[in-house]
Amino acid sequence: MSNRTVSQRPNGQNQGKICQFKLVLLGESAVGKSSLVLRFVKGQFHEFQESTIGAAFLTQTVCLDDTTVKFEIWDTAGQERYHSLAPMYYRGAQAAIVVYDITNQDTFGRAKTWVKELQRQASPNIVIALAGNKTDLANKRSVEYEEASQYAEENALLFMETSAKTAMNVNDIFLAIAKKLPKNDGNVGNGLTSPGSRRLGDADGGSRMSSGCCK
Amino acid sequence: MSEIDTTLDYKFGAQTLFALRHTGEICGSNGLPLTPKSIGILGKSQILKTFKHASLATYLDFIRGKHERLLIVSEFKKQNLKSRLYENKSSVIKIAHQVLKALAYLNSNGIVHRALCAENILLDEKGDVKLFNYGLYHMTNNGLDVEFPIGSVKYMAPEVLVSVLNKNYISGPKVDVWSLGIILMEIIFKTELWPKLKLSQCLRKVLSLIYCDDVLSRFARESDKMQIYQEMDSDLKNFLESCLQVNPKNRSIPEELLKHKIFEGVTEMQFINDFEEENNNGHPLNLWQLHELYYLWQLAGGDVHSELKRNGLIKTKPPILSVPSLILLEGMSFGHIKDPACMLDLKVVPLSLDALTARLKHINFNIYYPLIETKLHLINDLENSDKELENLPLIIRERDTEYQLHRIVLYKRLLQGYPYTRRRIYHEAIKDIPPIFRGEIWAALLDVKGDIENEYIAIDKETPIPTDRQIEVDIPRCHQYNELLSSKRGHLKLKRILKAWVVNSQQYVYWQGLDSLCAPFLCLNFNNEARAFASFSAFIPKYLHNFFLKDNSAVIKEYLAKFFHLMAYHDPILAKHLQEINFIPELFAIPWFLTMFSHVFPLHKIFHLWDKLLLGDSSYPLFIGLAILEQLRDTLLQSGFNECILLFSDLPEVDIERCVTISSNLYFDTPRSITFRKFQLNSSTDKLPYTLTEDMMSEIQKELNPRLDVVDFLELVNSRDTRSNVLVVDARSNSEFGEKSVAGSINIPYESIDFKNDISSGIPSSPELSVLINNKGKMIIIIGQTASEAAKFCSFLTNAEFSKVCFLNGGIDVLLSSGILTQVNSY
Repeated sequence: MSNRTVSQRPNGQNQGKICQFKLVLLGESAVGKSSLVLRFVKGQFHEFQESTIGAAFLTQTVCLDDTTVKFEIWDTAGQERYHSLAPMYYRGAQAAIVVYDITNQDTFGRAKTWVKELQRQASPNIVIALAGNKTDLANKRSVEYEEASQYAEENALLFMETSAKTAMNVNDIFLAIAKKLPKNDGNVGNGLTSPGSRRLGDADGGSRMSSGCCK
Repeated sequence: MSEIDTTLDYKFGAQTLFALRHTGEICGSNGLPLTPKSIGILGKSQILKTFKHASLATYLDFIRGKHERLLIVSEFKKQNLKSRLYENKSSVIKIAHQVLKALAYLNSNGIVHRALCAENILLDEKGDVKLFNYGLYHMTNNGLDVEFPIGSVKYMAPEVLVSVLNKNYISGPKVDVWSLGIILMEIIFKTELWPKLKLSQCLRKVLSLIYCDDVLSRFARESDKMQIYQEMDSDLKNFLESCLQVNPKNRSIPEELLKHKIFEGVTEMQFINDFEEENNNGHPLNLWQLHELYYLWQLAGGDVHSELKRNGLIKTKPPILSVPSLILLEGMSFGHIKDPACMLDLKVVPLSLDALTARLKHINFNIYYPLIETKLHLINDLENSDKELENLPLIIRERDTEYQLHRIVLYKRLLQGYPYTRRRIYHEAIKDIPPIFRGEIWAALLDVKGDIENEYIAIDKETPIPTDRQIEVDIPRCHQYNELLSSKRGHLKLKRILKAWVVNSQQYVYWQGLDSLCAPFLCLNFNNEARAFASFSAFIPKYLHNFFLKDNSAVIKEYLAKFFHLMAYHDPILAKHLQEINFIPELFAIPWFLTMFSHVFPLHKIFHLWDKLLLGDSSYPLFIGLAILEQLRDTLLQSGFNECILLFSDLPEVDIERCVTISSNLYFDTPRSITFRKFQLNSSTDKLPYTLTEDMMSEIQKELNPRLDVVDFLELVNSRDTRSNVLVVDARSNSEFGEKSVAGSINIPYESIDFKNDISSGIPSSPELSVLINNKGKMIIIIGQTASEAAKFCSFLTNAEFSKVCFLNGGIDVLLSSGILTQVNSY
């Protein structure tokens, strides 16, 4: 089972190490989680991005000095009801982006709840970033930058205001996460963490999932 | 019998207009692009198609062209009142009566004509009125969505012109009464009003009436018709005067005017509907509903766009001549401003039915009168060409004029007989469902009946509920490529239906995905919300029973476990692979089943998929899931976890027709009890006497292979057709087997199996296992001492890539009373 993927080096990357990290996006629905991922992974923006049911998965690689960082991104459904599925996705994640919509105070409140849950339930060393999305709609802002920034500071979160539509800060926030993630040997070529299975009765599944790479 | 006229009267015409274009801002305050006005018009115009009134020209279609162009197709008559201005008194009254009837009907539907003029009063062969262009004001959002004014100045009521600059002014029913007054006056005075005046002069004329007390006498004076005026019947004069009241307060509405004295003794016009058998010498299609005829016309190659082009109503300019000279970053453009005058062309292009007539020329008229209940097979035998057509791919059948003609004729009859014809409808739907009736047929298949209209009305769809926010953020991203669903009207309707469902089904809650699930029903029943709602509400318990409980995890878990059982049963190689890479259905199949694929496929694919889905039971979607996997199988088998999940995040093109074929093959190749679920909707009538019970389900979910119920077991073993394809393997000890066993079964004691030995290579470790290998491909039913032993045996076989492996629930004991057990003495 462990031989399922050998990470491939992007062309021209012959030296340096390759790290893989599992990253999960969380936040209220319609704040722009899928749009952020789409912008980061494909450089696209769909105005009518359809809602995510369950979760979607995408990967993207970024280069940091001599290290190639491969993100395995789990983009989750935002609706509260899908909450029960969330642990399946954030379990074993080394990074999380919690997204809210700067034009909607409620989504910020929900983001705080997600941060709390991650701090309590996720891997202890998880890198959490807070993204205030939709800055292109700044004229309808209802969450002030300072408010969110201060909250992020208190909780040791990375923080940026982003816009999937204009691409503002989208790559930056992923890069910032990549920088903050520890890149020791444990990650090299073995960052795979798949959500576990209870049903398949895989005895070592649980330990492998939580083993992660960042210890 | 007299010669039958095989030609079709010409029936409908097309015209075109342009919607107002957004200038400058491309995005609204919510950051989403502004919906084009033409989409708004399209959404608002749909309701017009439902208006059926003897004195209204029926609207048939609205098509969105390029550059905010709209094409409008409607019933059309070549004659109009303009060309027959000089009528006698009795026909004036008849015309007034019919126009008022039509206006009153429109008013009762919340619609005002606003563009009433002599040209818009069409006359049919008998001189009866067909009001035309009556939807213009409504569909253009009271004229706000177009640049041109609605109505012709000469006939406009003074208050309309006075309010031209007032954006909030909305015309009421009385403006049409004024226009009617002017038209009738023209007829009575036998003169055209202001024939030589320019537009601006006309405007001034109308406005000058504001201080006039007696409009009628003034017109008479001005047009030199005092003699006619003085000789005019006093009732008629009174009628005209009440139409031509300058102050709308003193003017009546159509409904009131119908009670006027002059209409006493007017016989109610017989409401001729399209089925009237009166002119039964004509072509049978003449008796069809116009929208059905229009549909056939399109199938026979009719293309509104090219007809308009051919008649010069659509002119194409080289792009270089139509691009703006300057565009600002904000989106403002300069140069090539379109003259608002060319935004609407009142010319109507009659659409010829010749091509359709030629196409259907050779068709025997008998086919228009199908005999539903008797000797259908005889008639079908006559139609050999039909039989051939049945074997063509669905896409071709759906576009074939003749084939659709047959289907429409048949289904029309069947739908008229619903609910009594439900079984026949179901039976026919196995072949295919004609797109034109899909909404109705789906409702029939879902057993929708009763007073759905009032049931829907009775539900409160307006009071705010906590779910509103979620519904509101989901709707603007639900199948928005579809013009109707992306229109404001569409959003509103979808919201109403979803709210009605949430309010109406108290045990359930709104889950994201319900929007997608509702979309196909709305799309097919855009003008019939009640039916969309009823179908949607009937669909959910049938296929998604308990999926929308607040806590649905147990339901989904069981469903996905069954999905995996079926995968192991039909495709052990794939199941084994996915299990090895830990790629569990939870990771990809939730949006599939929760939305019955409506979130994964575009609407046109969902239609074909659900056409078949609706014929199956609640387990059918599982087989569709398998059929999708089948199409991706090769890639999946070569891929690891990441590649697999990536594949599903961006699902490649899936061939729906193949998917349908494979899923139905699998469905019929699977004993029913294998798909038995605790959470499926078990109505008391079709409850099966299974030994499988609900409390076993948690155990069953942990197993990899399905259990078979004794009901199915006996059927398989006792039937000659299936017996030879079934291998019963008894895993109990030799002695137990010898005492009593199923005739023809083989004995492979559980203890004798070396579970570490991989027999997929084909090298058996024991002679018994070699029997299995020789029978690979047959259905293998294990009878075990215990369930866990049987389950382990099954999964051993699945790992060895044996397909169709299952075990008998309850073991040998359930067969004790069946009488099929025999004693084997050889041991």
